[in-house]
Amino acid sequence: MNKVFLRWLYQELPGLVEKGVLSQEAADKIRQFYGQVKNPGRMNVGLVIFGTIGAFLIGLGIILLFAHNWDQLSRLSRAVLSLTPLIIGQLLVLWVLLKRPQSSALKESTATFLSLMVGAAIALISQTYNIHGDAGTFIFTWMLLILPLVYIMQASLPAVIYLIGITAWAGNNWDNPVKAVIFWPLAAVIVPHLIWALKREIYALRAAIVSLVMAVCILSAASFSLGRNWPGLWVVIFPSIFAVIYFTGNWKFNQITTNWQKPLRFIGGIGLFILVFQFTFKYCWQYLGSYTYGVNRDISFIGLLPDYIITLAIIGTAVLLFYDNLKRKNNQVAMFGAVPLLAVVAYFLNMQSTFLPLLIFNLYLFVLSLSRIVAGFRLNNQALLNTGMLMLSVLIIARFFDSDISFIVKGLVFIIVGIGFLTANLVYTRRLGGVK
Amino acid sequence: MKIKLIIGLFLCVCFAQIITPLSMIARREFVLKHGAQYKFKVAPVDPYDAFRGRYVALRFEEDYCLCAKEDKLNSGQQVYALINVDDHGFAKFSGLAVNRPDTGPYIKTRLNYISGDKAYLDIPIDRYYMEESAAPRAEKVYQQHVRSGKEDAYAIIRIQDGMAVIESLYVAGERIESLVDSLSN
Repeated sequence: MNKVFLRWLYQELPGLVEKGVLSQEAADKIRQFYGQVKNPGRMNVGLVIFGTIGAFLIGLGIILLFAHNWDQLSRLSRAVLSLTPLIIGQLLVLWVLLKRPQSSALKESTATFLSLMVGAAIALISQTYNIHGDAGTFIFTWMLLILPLVYIMQASLPAVIYLIGITAWAGNNWDNPVKAVIFWPLAAVIVPHLIWALKREIYALRAAIVSLVMAVCILSAASFSLGRNWPGLWVVIFPSIFAVIYFTGNWKFNQITTNWQKPLRFIGGIGLFILVFQFTFKYCWQYLGSYTYGVNRDISFIGLLPDYIITLAIIGTAVLLFYDNLKRKNNQVAMFGAVPLLAVVAYFLNMQSTFLPLLIFNLYLFVLSLSRIVAGFRLNNQALLNTGMLMLSVLIIARFFDSDISFIVKGLVFIIVGIGFLTANLVYTRRLGGVK
Repeated sequence: MKIKLIIGLFLCVCFAQIITPLSMIARREFVLKHGAQYKFKVAPVDPYDAFRGRYVALRFEEDYCLCAKEDKLNSGQQVYALINVDDHGFAKFSGLAVNRPDTGPYIKTRLNYISGDKAYLDIPIDRYYMEESAAPRAEKVYQQHVRSGKEDAYAIIRIQDGMAVIESLYVAGERIESLVDSLSN
């Protein structure tokens, strides 16, 4: 159970015993059953946030102070001064490692400070010697130099900086997919840290932030680096990535209830729905082949091989996770994650006609929303019911706007959908009352 | 034992973090000290680089050299741009080599694009940093200078083993810093 709820429950227990609602024995059994409220890593969230904001501000302040008007200094003294904040950062980290190795807050904030100072030092030296403005090389060098801090200091903010950095680097190389594809092994290096964060603090901010940034970075980098020589393959690649994110979000940690604590499930679900909704429109399939995003140069097959391998690996993972959920009878999850498989089928059918992909996805969204509504009723889950209703209404409304139907009929459809929403919720609430 | 290992690893990381900027300094200081001096005609402009503060952006007046179709060159390819000095003492690119030349001055660079018989170079000198308020003033000084019909801005560049480092920027025969200073006063 969520530790916030657990704390609340433990606060209530004495009162409940006093008022005779629970016997002392029952209260003790509850305590025994749930155990102590765990406080993983004894990390004080406030201290981490303020420590890190402080480190950020000091770091940025130092960069601004140095960057502004230091013309009077000689070239060599400027260069040596550029290294000072970096050395201060290293000494701070060393002090934390030696004297306060238990403090997550100090580890996090000093590692972040040092990460920023590495970038500052390289930038300042580039300025001193008027070094060629190659943002790609600058970011790449910086990121490689801070990567070890993620593991040495068990710090997540450097991991976040690193992920954003390598994504920016991939974006900088968007016209050179052979290079941009290196993003994937670079991002894979952070996966053990993400797993560690998820295992250690399932409910904590840290795991939520790292997984959120990871998901956003992977999605951005995919557009720079995958399927670049295969027009229209995005209809398979993006559903596969969203499906992997969605399945991972549903993995193991089912007891989490709120969406922000489960960003992977949330992003994956929303992304899949938006893609499927888009796939129900004709224009999407009609112009599929013409959606190429700007690589004109000739690339050899060997150069494109990493792109193909990673694309296939992502699609394969999505299909395997789908199969795994199906086998474990997680039907709702599996059904939502079936999009990549359908997208593969639709991609090939689209070569014959645009009608078949359209039919597949309209039917799929219809069945998916109905199954959610039914499951919502069956499991007494209002969220499931309402998301199902929402998907169904979006589909119906979109199809009616698509076709040449008079305004009166369109208006009536709106009213009917609205009544459907109200009725379903009313029936649900009544049934729930009956259950009580 | 574990903490000793972690600290050992951290010290290795520290070494890498220090040695990277230090090697940047050392390589450029070496070129500035031992490299041969060349004058290249330039035309400065002044954009804002969010990463690195204000600088005067430089464009070489002749940032290409002639090439033949048989050379089979591609955009982005690494090349060596050979340097020649004309009668007025200004350096110009006289040719391209795919392999490192044995003799003569050259800059290691990449091909930007090829247009007809001209191979445009991505010259590794594209900026000259100045104090924040001085860069826009320097730009103005240069533009006024150009309007009066003279275009004699040049950069002094030190070159050693293919590596080029800018030493100073001159407008109207004077260092840009002192020109901006004298006009402000």
